[in-house]
Amino acid sequence: MKRVQLREVAHARSGEKGDTVNVSVIAYKEKDYAIIKEQVTIDAVRELYGPITNGNIQRYEAPNIGALNFVLEGALGGGRSRTLAFDESGKSLSSRVLTMPIEVTDDYVTRSEDMKSSHSGIKEAVVHSEKD
Amino acid sequence: MKKIKLGAATGWSRDRFGPAEDLVKHGNLDYLCFESMSEVTMSEAQVKKVDDPNTSGYDPYLVDRLGPILKECKEKGIKIISNQGWINPEGAAEKILEVAQSQGINNLKVAAVNGGILTDNITDLAFAFLEDGESISDYKDDIVSAEAYLGAEGIVDALKNEADVIVTTRVGDACLYLGPLAYEFDWDFDHYDAIAKGMVVGHLMECACQITGGYFSDPGYKHVPNPGELGHPIAEVSEDKIYITKLSNTGGVVSTETCKEQLLYEVQDPANYLCPDVVADFTKVSFLDAGKDRVEVICHEGVGRPKTGALKVLVGLKEGYLAEEMMLFAGPGARERSEVAKSILINRFEQISLRPKEMRWDYLGVNSVHREASSSLEETPYELILRVALKTESLHDAEKLRKEIDPMAVNGPSGTGKWGPMGNRVRPIIGLRSVLVPEEEAPTAVVYRE
Repeated sequence: MKRVQLREVAHARSGEKGDTVNVSVIAYKEKDYAIIKEQVTIDAVRELYGPITNGNIQRYEAPNIGALNFVLEGALGGGRSRTLAFDESGKSLSSRVLTMPIEVTDDYVTRSEDMKSSHSGIKEAVVHSEKD
Repeated sequence: MKKIKLGAATGWSRDRFGPAEDLVKHGNLDYLCFESMSEVTMSEAQVKKVDDPNTSGYDPYLVDRLGPILKECKEKGIKIISNQGWINPEGAAEKILEVAQSQGINNLKVAAVNGGILTDNITDLAFAFLEDGESISDYKDDIVSAEAYLGAEGIVDALKNEADVIVTTRVGDACLYLGPLAYEFDWDFDHYDAIAKGMVVGHLMECACQITGGYFSDPGYKHVPNPGELGHPIAEVSEDKIYITKLSNTGGVVSTETCKEQLLYEVQDPANYLCPDVVADFTKVSFLDAGKDRVEVICHEGVGRPKTGALKVLVGLKEGYLAEEMMLFAGPGARERSEVAKSILINRFEQISLRPKEMRWDYLGVNSVHREASSSLEETPYELILRVALKTESLHDAEKLRKEIDPMAVNGPSGTGKWGPMGNRVRPIIGLRSVLVPEEEAPTAVVYRE
């Protein structure tokens, strides 16, 4: 087994409703849903977001799209309209979950390796940033 | 088989302007929809109205958004559905007619969908806030606004009455899309799977480019071509198929990955997505790659269940004032000097009796974005910004912060940089809470101008 960051297995997006933040975790390959379902637990998410979550953390499953949805109550300092948080909408928060360590088999092909071999993504992104 | 094409012009009030014109020119659309609200939009409009009774009450971008496309939409038969009416959809409808007349557009029928404003009687209709169960009547004097999320019924009525442009107050965002679909396919609102299908389309489309590569790019992991010119999404819907796509000559990407991210965006329990017209089960949705920038949306049996009969109402409350300031540091000792600045200010707040209800300190570049959940950094970055934000009961107290920050330019530690923007960094807080009310308490009303 080897250990990689969650971002090698899944992507994520965060959004807000009142003082609640949701963070979706979506396996890049639907067969890897089993990996995230087993390892991206409420406890593991609490490790990462606990210090800013003043309420429950719920986990919901959406196996048809290979995804989990985490709901962090009280994570926005009162909600967008009244929070003192610099990121008032919590739109940055999805990147936190992507740092979670995940165990995969030694021959697991990570997302970044996949992109390098099958796609010119990295190269093009570099070209773009040079143009900027 | 009948196929309807809907385009998403905007995903929020301050979205880009170009995509609407592209969609009208090249999209071969039946409908163009503008989503223009965030949760706080209606409360802010209400407060502005109190301060200045002459304010329009609708989206100030109304004319800038619709003016350039109105004529072509009328000529091509593209119906416009927009929630830019905010607290004054009738005023917005009149303004749209005025624009039409100035452009020589004849026979334009504009519908204003109104209703749901419960500011004056919300304490009679609801007892407790959903968030914490506190009694709403305890906050009676602080309430500045209360508006229900209306369903799609008013939009359907307006289409039956052959409106060309429909401008609404607060309706459920996705209802901007559900309305035309329910009308075109003559869906009965008791046909839960069909109505939920319309909600799924609406939910995917309402944030516009967030399904075509916006809020998505992550170099080396998620690639977005030409992200400076994202095309906005088009939904192609027939009775048995749904596709999400975009114009081929635009930037961005539509993939099963962008669709999955948007399906769960701002969702809590995906099996129970509560909407004014239906309860949708997003776990019964899947996606199929259908070619370049084209994804099929599959809604399985059981995607819809009966609505709850209650409407969510957002209640805006006056909650004092917020003040925010920043000081800049860089180079050797930046961290230590910023800490000196912080301790000076804490000392000064004591001296002037500034006792905020709530206060937070951040180091931008270290821990301001993920706050207390940030990974600890072993090394201080080359530069950092000390930020302080606080809440007070009174405007007078909030303004004390500025009076302590400005002197730091000459009283602070060595190399204290001054934050450039010197505009108004004190603002009133309108806190939002929510309640449920029975739907019959918030009927929809449609009026026409032509």
